[in-house]
Amino acid sequence: MREAIPKPLGAVTLLCLLTSMYLIFSWVPTEASMGIVQRIFYIHVSSAAVAFGGFFLGGFAAIAYLASRNATRDDLSVACNEVGLLFACVNLITGCLWAKPVWGVYWAWDARLTSMLLLALIYAAYLILRQSIEEPGQRAVVCAVVSVFGMVDVPIVYMANRWWRTQHPAPVLGGGGSLDPRMTFVLFFTMFSLALLYWCLVRQRRNLEALGRTTDALRRQVQAAS
Amino acid sequence: MEENLKWLWAAFSVAWALHIGYVSLLSGRARKLEGQLKNLRAQLKERD
Repeated sequence: MREAIPKPLGAVTLLCLLTSMYLIFSWVPTEASMGIVQRIFYIHVSSAAVAFGGFFLGGFAAIAYLASRNATRDDLSVACNEVGLLFACVNLITGCLWAKPVWGVYWAWDARLTSMLLLALIYAAYLILRQSIEEPGQRAVVCAVVSVFGMVDVPIVYMANRWWRTQHPAPVLGGGGSLDPRMTFVLFFTMFSLALLYWCLVRQRRNLEALGRTTDALRRQVQAAS
Repeated sequence: MEENLKWLWAAFSVAWALHIGYVSLLSGRARKLEGQLKNLRAQLKERD
């Protein structure tokens, strides 16, 4: 079995994550109106960006699986979606913890928040579905379809605060907002660091899926022999 | 300022706890599968 996370990739990821934490806590200026709590922004927005990218990757891998029926594409799809869900959960929880001191409530049922929660629930359902279907071929096809359905929901979540009036603020990048250049740099650096972490976790998860397939094949051989 | 610090602390703690928890979960699953694989290989070898 190939090495899940090559040492140079692991080392660069760790270095980037530590640097981004240093930048967030010590280097970037404090935002004037919200104060220190605004620093949650860097991990909140970056996690959402990585989750969205991950769901797209998972969706494209699912389409590749449906076209080729190559099990390694299914491995990649489940890995991308599961790790994407982890980042979506980080986005939702950090959002709640940011909303409480700023809005006075943990949660508001507005279009952005609700659509993001629905997206996370679609992928949670995807993982439950994976556990509940025994036959590997059927499981991969059904889950690939759900994965494509989830991917289609991503642009709706992204556009929700442009299409509808929401309590969630307008996007600061590409939405007419302005951001200090140092804040923009830290945001993109954190996104890059989390994207590296995402890729390390996907590689690990994909290897695990391949290991599971090998185990199932061997189990069938043992059952056939007995 | 200090009142808000607890929210910042909580957000980053939860974020990293989720990641560390997920890595532990993956390691646990990998160990379990490797154990099963070892057992199955031993069973096949016995029959051969």
